[in-house]
Amino acid sequence: MKSILKITIALGFIMTLTSCWTDKSKRNYQYMPDMYKSVGYETYSQNPNFANGMTTQLPAEGSIARGQVPYDYPNTNEGYEDAKLNSKNPLEVNEENLANGKKMYDIYCISCHGQNGAGDGVLVQRDKFLGVPNYKDREITEGSIYHVIMYGRNMMGSHASQLTAKERWEVTMYVEQLRTELLK
Amino acid sequence: MSSHYEAPIRRPLIDGDKSYHDITVEVAAPVEGKANKLWWTAFAIALTAFLWGLGSIIYTIGTGIGVWGLNKTVGWAWDITNFVWWVGIGHAGTLISAVLLLFRQKWRMGINRSAEAMTIFSVVQAGLFPVIHMGRVWNAHFVLPIPNQFGTLWTNFNSPLLWDVFAISTYLSVSLVFWWTGLLPDFAMLRDRAVKPFQKKIYSLLSFGWSGRAKDWQRFEEVSLVLAGLATPLVLSVHTIVSFDFATSVIPGWHTTIFPPYFVAGAVFSGFAMVNTLLIIMRKVSNLEAYITLQHIELMNIVIMITGSIVGCAYITELFIAWYSGVEYEQYAFLNRATGPYWWAYLLMMSCNVFSPQFMWSKKLRQSITFSFIISIVVNVGMWFERFVIIVTSLHRDYLPSSWTMFSPTFVDIGIYVGTIGFFFVLFLLYARTFPVIAQAEVKSILKSSGENYKKLRDRNHE
Repeated sequence: MKSILKITIALGFIMTLTSCWTDKSKRNYQYMPDMYKSVGYETYSQNPNFANGMTTQLPAEGSIARGQVPYDYPNTNEGYEDAKLNSKNPLEVNEENLANGKKMYDIYCISCHGQNGAGDGVLVQRDKFLGVPNYKDREITEGSIYHVIMYGRNMMGSHASQLTAKERWEVTMYVEQLRTELLK
Repeated sequence: MSSHYEAPIRRPLIDGDKSYHDITVEVAAPVEGKANKLWWTAFAIALTAFLWGLGSIIYTIGTGIGVWGLNKTVGWAWDITNFVWWVGIGHAGTLISAVLLLFRQKWRMGINRSAEAMTIFSVVQAGLFPVIHMGRVWNAHFVLPIPNQFGTLWTNFNSPLLWDVFAISTYLSVSLVFWWTGLLPDFAMLRDRAVKPFQKKIYSLLSFGWSGRAKDWQRFEEVSLVLAGLATPLVLSVHTIVSFDFATSVIPGWHTTIFPPYFVAGAVFSGFAMVNTLLIIMRKVSNLEAYITLQHIELMNIVIMITGSIVGCAYITELFIAWYSGVEYEQYAFLNRATGPYWWAYLLMMSCNVFSPQFMWSKKLRQSITFSFIISIVVNVGMWFERFVIIVTSLHRDYLPSSWTMFSPTFVDIGIYVGTIGFFFVLFLLYARTFPVIAQAEVKSILKSSGENYKKLRDRNHE
């Protein structure tokens, strides 16, 4: 009887220890995964029902979602010039908008354009790539800044998917402030 | 014998001219002999029923509770009916071994071993239902308050269903220990009589090296008495807790303060009936008529009569209170029982539980073994319907008429019930062939006070 007890304890101990050495590159064992996997399609999950295999499908061309305002200037040089002259920031210039603009700038813009917009971001400093202009060297208006964030220009890509329209205008507002500082 | 005083009015509890050795031989005979054809037939039937039930259980767990006849209104029916029924049956064993021990009833000695075995086996059947009626059986361990990785997520101790877990598990373990300590001297007897090495080995293991010294016996008696003292409140509380499953609810027909004692009385009632059913057969097939005498059966019949009357009293109280309460829901619940779509179940319950035990007032009837046997089965049918009526008729029509519905069982409901009956008899039949079915050590202690031959001797001396 005593030896049986000892063997049981030893086996239990070994089993406890082996649970520390599972294959970390694989998902661990699950006990009765009743509601672990979603029955509905989650946003970024694969979807066998569509040709591209994705659950996220593009909206129909020309449809406008509630609460969204389409940006009417086209992604062309003419559109850029047009926006530069005519597109105006609908937001009021205040501390709150500027503060959020700085927050977004520090996330999405700072790595190339630098903290002050002098084109000396950390990637430029490390020579990852060059040719980022200083804000004071270019003739830019709030309309053109917004247009560039929206569509990108030359080396810069579009940031429309990262930032909402309001955030883009807030960043525009903050970039204008940086430019004023640089021009002093 | 002259120093011993026993009232001459008492009838002998051991018939025939028995010596200590005769008791040993007769108790050991079913264990030492070979099973006959009848036993194998009964065993095969029970095993088939058990396997059928096992299949039904596996089908339920594999497919889902939807294979039962439950619906959204009646969420408890055969499952909990059978649970309460089996728990109730289990109560007589403890009552016989514990309560009758506290009351120094010598007649318990011939029947306590089998009554306790019946307790163990029926609590095992009862224990199946709380598990298999769960929607997710595999998470059943969450009823236990075990520290875990969910920020030590614990159980809510306010639910009578959790109390059921503690009640049933405690009841089963205490009953098992009580039964086993009582078995030690008897297993030792079988060990000492065994001639085949295998049997010798088995009974040596089972008897835990019992050598029957004075100190051992003294402690054995103390332990028995302490366990009897513990088992008595346990037996009352376990079925009380089971009754709380209903009594603590807000359902008209369930929310009653009478349930705890009334369920316990019903449990003793049905349990004794089951003991009677089993022992009437056992005394015949195992040739133990000298130890389980007509007097034993008569005394059990009297207990059945008393508890049956308590149950009948409870029925009348319920009806009176329903009328007296002025609560229309409560009044309708009882009107529905009597005249609703399940009137036949109510009628069966009333006739089996209230009227049938009243026949026991007649000495002629309660001393008739055939009649006792029939009544014992009738009582258990009635008690099954009592639980069914309480559960289903209260649920299928309650507050909102828009949720009124009916219940009918499926073959799976029935299959599981039949399976537990089969499992019970599988266990009981195996027990009857391998365990000393009469507590010979205890019976020997009353031989000289209650044996027929010694009584006659005493009577002659007095003349």
